[in-house]
This record gives sequence, C-alpha cells and structure tokens, in this order.
Amino acid sequence: MLSYEADYRREAMGVPARASFGLFKTWIGRFYLGLWGIVGVLMGTIGSAVWLWQVVILDPTQTGNPLRNFVAGQIPVPKASLGMGIATTGADGLWWQVVVFCATITFLAWMLRQVDISRQLKMRYHVPVAYAAVLSSWVTIQIVRPALLGHWAEGFPLGVLAHLDWLSAFGYRYYNFYYNPFHALGVALLFGSGFVLSLHGATILSASGLRNKGVTEDNINRFYWDFFGYSVGEIGVHRLAFLFSVLCVLLSNLCLVLSGTVVQDWSRFWDFWNKLPIWSGFGF
Amino acid sequence: MEAEALYPEGIERRAKKSFHIRALQGFGDTQIGPIYLGIWGLLAIGSFAITVLMIFIGYGLQVGWNPIRFMREFAVLGVEPPAPSYGLQFAPLAQGGFWQIATLFLTLTLVFWTIRIWSRATANGVRPLLPIAFGAALFLFSAIYIIHPISMGSWNEAPGHGLRAQLVWANNFSIKYGNFYYNPFHMVSIFGLLGSTVLLAMHGATILATVQYQSHRELDEIEDSTEGTHRAQLIWRWIMGFNATPHSIHVWALGLATLAAVAGGIGVITSGPAEPNWYLWACRAGITPGGIAACVPLP
Repeated sequence: MLSYEADYRREAMGVPARASFGLFKTWIGRFYLGLWGIVGVLMGTIGSAVWLWQVVILDPTQTGNPLRNFVAGQIPVPKASLGMGIATTGADGLWWQVVVFCATITFLAWMLRQVDISRQLKMRYHVPVAYAAVLSSWVTIQIVRPALLGHWAEGFPLGVLAHLDWLSAFGYRYYNFYYNPFHALGVALLFGSGFVLSLHGATILSASGLRNKGVTEDNINRFYWDFFGYSVGEIGVHRLAFLFSVLCVLLSNLCLVLSGTVVQDWSRFWDFWNKLPIWSGFGF
Repeated sequence: MEAEALYPEGIERRAKKSFHIRALQGFGDTQIGPIYLGIWGLLAIGSFAITVLMIFIGYGLQVGWNPIRFMREFAVLGVEPPAPSYGLQFAPLAQGGFWQIATLFLTLTLVFWTIRIWSRATANGVRPLLPIAFGAALFLFSAIYIIHPISMGSWNEAPGHGLRAQLVWANNFSIKYGNFYYNPFHMVSIFGLLGSTVLLAMHGATILATVQYQSHRELDEIEDSTEGTHRAQLIWRWIMGFNATPHSIHVWALGLATLAAVAGGIGVITSGPAEPNWYLWACRAGITPGGIAACVPLP
C-alpha cells in the first residue's frame, strides 16, 4: 500500500453503492475487486484460455513450438455461409464467437470497473470515457460492421500475424485505404498523438526538479511562445491529449464501418472532386 | 526568475506584442506570442521558403501555370525524385532536380529548427529535451529521405513531395520489401505508435478527471504530490495494480513516442541492405499464418 492509500480506501468505503457500482467493494492486494472486476477476470480468463487452448496447445499451424504458435496461430472467422447465426461446432466458427463474446464482455466490464473506481475516488469520468472510445472500435469492427454486412466472416481472425494479414488485405479490398479520407485523418491523429505525447513528456521532464533554480511553468510558457508563438497551458495540453487520442480512434471507426457498406472503392470516392460545378465555370 | 535576465536582446529579437484569441477560452491559454525570430528562426524560415518554392515551381510546370488546374489537381500533384538511372547524381531540374533542391532545403529546415528549439530551451532555463526528442523524428526523416536512398544507391528510393506522392511511396515501399506488416521493426514502431495513443489518452483523461484537485500542476506535483496526484495514482493502482508518478509518466511518454520513431527508422534502413523481403524473413522465422507450409517458395 502507498503511504497515503489507507485514507483513500477509508474514504471509498464511505461512498454509497449505486446500482452495480460499489458491490463487492474490497481490495485484493493492491487491486480493487468490485462486481465488474469479478466479471472481467472471469470472462477474460475463459476467453484467454479458449484462445490459448485452440491456438497454442492444439497446434493448428503445426509449427511444433508453442512460442511460434502464439505468433503464427489463429482462430479463423466463421464461414460467410453462417451469416449472423450462432455456430455450434468448432469448424463453423464456434471458438471465434466464444472468444469474441468473452472479450466484448471483458472490455465492457473493464470500462465499468473504471467507472466504479472513478466513483470511489471522487474523480470525473474521463478515464472510462476515453476507454469507451477504444471499446467502440472493437465493437465496430467485430460486431457492428459484420452485422451491417450480414455475416460474422467480416470480423478479423484472432491471431497475432493473422490479424495483420487481415488488415493488409482489408485495405486493398476497397481499392486502397490510402485513398480513404477518414483513414488519412485517423493516421494523421495517430502520428499527431505520438507527437503530442513526445512534446508533453519532453516539456515536463525538461523543467522538472529545477525549482531551486527558479524554473516554473512560466519558463515553459516563455519557451513555447518563443519558438512556436503559443503555449496551450497546463490544463489545455491534457485536453489536447484527450481530444487527439479519442478522435483518432473514432475517425478510424468511421473509416472502417463505411468500407463495404457505403463505399466499395475509395479511389472512386474522389470522383466527385473533378465533377464539382466550380471547375466547369473555368472550362474543365 | 527575471524575464530580462532570460531574454538577452541583441540582433535577435521577439515580436513586441502579443494578443489574445478569445475563442481559445475554455480549451487552453488565450495568449498568442510574443514569438521569437532569431538567426536560426530566420534560417529555418528562409530554407523552408526555398523548399516550398521548389515544390511549387514543380507543380506549376506540371499544370502549365494554370491556377485553376493547380487547385483542381493539388492533391495529386507531386515533385518526384530523379529516375533510378540518375543514381545519386544531380538530375536536371525538371527530371528530379527540383526534388533534390527541395529535399536538401527541407533537411536544412529541420536542422535549423532543431537548433532553434535548443537555443530557446537553454535561453529560457529549461533542459534541451524537446530538441533531443525532435531528434528521433529527425532520425526517421533522414532514414527515409537520406540514409535508405544512399544505401540503395538511388534517390529514387525516397518519397516524392506531394499529398498523394508520399502515400503512394508508403504503399509501394511496403510491397517492394515484401509487405511491411511482416517487418519486425515496423511491428515495434506500430506498437509504439498505438501505445503512444493509449498512453496519451490515459494521461490526458487521468489529469482531466482530477483537475479539481489540482493534479494538472505537474511541476509542483513532481516536487511534492498532493491530493490530485494521489487520486490519479490510485485509480490506476486499483484498476491494474500499477501506477506511475507525476515524473515517471512523462518518462514513459517520451520513451514510447521515441521508440515509435526510432524503430520505424531502423525498419526503413534495414529494408533492402539487411532484408530484401520481410515476408521471406517471416517464413524463415516460421511465424507466417498457416505455418511454413503456407509459404510460397519464390522462384
């Protein structure tokens, strides 16, 4: 336990339970338990066990080496003929459905666990909201988009390199994802997130522990005004961080869910550009 | 510390005035400027202007100096590097010379910009960590535009300057070296990039959720942590059994973001000289989906 932790645990014990938040309020070692901790651990263990048993123990790739199986192996998606039905045998895609189901519940429980703990610590709910963005990405790819197209086979296979193959093929299936404007925005924000993270980390570390030399946040402000003309400020930089990372994921969701449902060829998507009426006025 | 002591005024000067943009209220600070020029700023602006000029002359030639065609085709215009037959030689302007001059001055711009950040950091009494971090991005840039082309003996290996041109390059570069998804350095780089986004979301959300307890005053919190930091640390300790400190979270941040750029640069440099085909590398390592049996032996 951290030196100050006991006070906050005592305070948390005083926070009344509401709905499912605050049930099983106890700590196991350093971990908070809670109802959603129990659900998450249970479903996460089942899902992981099924995946490891199918991919690493059963050795479907016949590499004969558990470590290689871990990287090369996969649980393939159900066949398209299954539609959105429930598989009954392993060959139909039962194990894929079991793992996806367990994972979805685990992720959901993890988010509710963050809500629960935020409540116990009297914090606002930014952490679960940010997590909800990435959860929405999983749900979009594995559930919403397959449902829109009518079969589970649209999901991605559960394997380390197998899902990279899926990703690579997915881009070329709709001509080329580099022409997808929402993909472009998502990637821009992805690089932007790395950039903001690097800026913020370097900025704080560059001025930390220099209080005895009179260095305060004023120095950081002046540094940024000097070289860039703007200093976003202590709270602002965290708002920027939240916005960049969450928008990155949400735009990526959009770029995926539009592919195959609305847009079949992302290069043809741009056909409207040359047909804009503005050009015809200039003789094009 | 006295501002004057930090701000020696010579030929180097900053704009006298600053102004405020009220629309920024509620998001961040509203003050814009005063921005500093300085010799390195001047050099950076000058060389970047030459870069842009070279690229726009190239664009202008391609559209016959027609401004409407220029706007209509802006996204697909590109100033391409010289053909492979020129190797590392100088090429005539319209056959890649514009690209060579533009790339040279773009590189100089980034170097001047790094020196500018360095000089501003030391002048304002903070450590020059930002320019060092920027060095990671500079490494990735030089891996793509300089080191890899030189090691392959042709400027043609580098991306063209243009919106579509660099996307086409990214697409073709991956395929040329056997699909970058099988490149382990690319995997590490993507791990760093996606991880950076996760860490950015976690850190931003944690601080925003505890702003009412003053956790955003990070420099003070690093010295003596108070209630905001306690709550910010406990949420992660209770969720996942581990927590960073106000200082260490920024070490994680800088480290992960740097890893993304450095691993990416290594992935580019090794493509070709060290490994001409990453798919075959994955085959030899026995990690392709479907096992060794799925590997198609190439002629």
